[in-house]
Amino acid sequence: MASMRHSARAVLGRAHRRHYLQAYLFISPVIVLFTLFRIWPSLQTLYFSFFKVELLKGRLTYVGLQNFIDLAQDEIFRRAIANTLIYALTIVPVSAFLAMILAVLFSEHFRLRELFKAVYFAPMVTSTVAAAVVWWWLYNPQFGLFNSVLRLLHLPEQPWLLSSRMALPSVIIFSIWKTLGYNMVIYIAALQAIPTMFYEAATIDGAGPFQRFVRITLPLLAPTTTFILIYNTIFAFQVFDQVLVLTGGGPAFSTNVVVLELYTQAFQRYRFGYASAEAMVLFLFILGVTVVQYFYSRRYEVAY
Amino acid sequence: MPRSAEAAAALPARGGARVQAALGSARRLPLYVVVGLGAVLMILPFYWMIVTAISPAPDIIAFPPKWIPSRITLEHFQEAWAKAPWLTYYKNSLVVATVSVGLSMLFGLFAGYAFAVYEFPLQNVLFLVILGTLMVPVQVTSVALYVFLSRIGWVDTYPGILAPNFASAFGVYMIRQAIKAVPMDLIDAARIDGAGEARIVATVVLPLIKPTIAAVAMLLFLSSWNDFLWPVIVINSESLRTLPVGIALFKDPYGFINYGPLMAGTVITVGPMLVAYAFSQRFMIRGIALTGLR
Repeated sequence: MASMRHSARAVLGRAHRRHYLQAYLFISPVIVLFTLFRIWPSLQTLYFSFFKVELLKGRLTYVGLQNFIDLAQDEIFRRAIANTLIYALTIVPVSAFLAMILAVLFSEHFRLRELFKAVYFAPMVTSTVAAAVVWWWLYNPQFGLFNSVLRLLHLPEQPWLLSSRMALPSVIIFSIWKTLGYNMVIYIAALQAIPTMFYEAATIDGAGPFQRFVRITLPLLAPTTTFILIYNTIFAFQVFDQVLVLTGGGPAFSTNVVVLELYTQAFQRYRFGYASAEAMVLFLFILGVTVVQYFYSRRYEVAY
Repeated sequence: MPRSAEAAAALPARGGARVQAALGSARRLPLYVVVGLGAVLMILPFYWMIVTAISPAPDIIAFPPKWIPSRITLEHFQEAWAKAPWLTYYKNSLVVATVSVGLSMLFGLFAGYAFAVYEFPLQNVLFLVILGTLMVPVQVTSVALYVFLSRIGWVDTYPGILAPNFASAFGVYMIRQAIKAVPMDLIDAARIDGAGEARIVATVVLPLIKPTIAAVAMLLFLSSWNDFLWPVIVINSESLRTLPVGIALFKDPYGFINYGPLMAGTVITVGPMLVAYAFSQRFMIRGIALTGLR
């Protein structure tokens, strides 16, 4: 009896070990690749941010917090942070708001609805770089379509990307156009998940369309709105492609953003340590948003 | 207006379907105007890109703007085609996107299965570490990744372009969620029949989670196809440029007003993806909705 129990345990133990091995075998490619190309570079970024890195000479010089002290006094970097924040804090709410309105309109059934939806979503599948090249032409002050239309309407023509006051708003308009479709599709899916009986009950109780929107749609969309705001903000912090193509960060650094700034420092000025410190600041921004998300999602768990 | 809309909305409850149909089209006029105007604004850049690419040079800078070309010309395409190796760009984009999606899905499928089905030491820690990499995008790690790859001689190579995208944390997460919804009984039944774990993944689990696999693969392909920051950092040779890098560098010498060939270049760049989108937009939009809402 005892020996039987013993051998059963041995068999189970072997099965368990085999299944641990199986599990580790299955996850090992992902773990190895992530360790090499994601985690190791992340740790290196932190490490390099305390060094002067000279890649060609293969030399690392420890400088302590000097990179961060320099950053804090670097007018161009501070401008890049401000531009990135202005960009994110404008594009995210505007895109989310417009997307929500569109999604509510799209919850009606009307002719060619799918076609319209596809049109709104099309910028999303288009390469940001190629789309930005097209907008660069549209924004051309002399021959671009936008100024031609303004001239047709007898409205004042704009310098668009050429003026340090208008360039950032021009980039923002482009990015709203680019991201609107994604947010709209997410909102449409969320709206479909709201049971129609809520609306039917509210209608019977005499609630008008506006009341139904404010009392039912808006609160039930709140988790989706949180997701969209967080996700878009994290992406907005990483903006790069359209800025490089549309303005290259100019004029006079008026559209320089954090990723473009660290790209320039690293790959044009070869200041890898300094660029790593800038990357750490970017990471802290993303981390901050993620922490906010964590607490928000916990709040919803309590609410339901 | 609000009152009539309210009345129309309340009608179905009273069973006035015919009246509602009559009211419907009138009520929808503002809807059509708003959605239609917005759609015109959304599509305008695409329209103008194509019109510029096929218009004769004088039309392009004419005022008032020529909404319809006076004649259709392909000369800008000929010029654009002669000035850059587009086929090479296509080939590179295709190779990079295909390999990255293929490997991400293969590794993601097995890792997702392990995280969904097994229990093993450090499981949660490892899963959180994988998800944690989502918080450190290549925008943050690019500098250190470049330094690392230059040490192992991967700068300006295919593996170098692929390095951050050999595996996808998003893919592992989505696949794990999908496999968690697969009944364990099915997997156990296959085990009793003597199937090995790898075979169970391929023949039992994979067919059941096809929609997730298709949606994730499509999203990863799209993001690889349009990826720019990392390729532009790691690629030096023209022979390795992907389409976005190609079009960005194609633009630079066009500091003058030669917009016809430039727009022909953008049509060449985005054309195939837009055509693919036109044929599969329902699938693509559904895929985004599926993966966006966790």
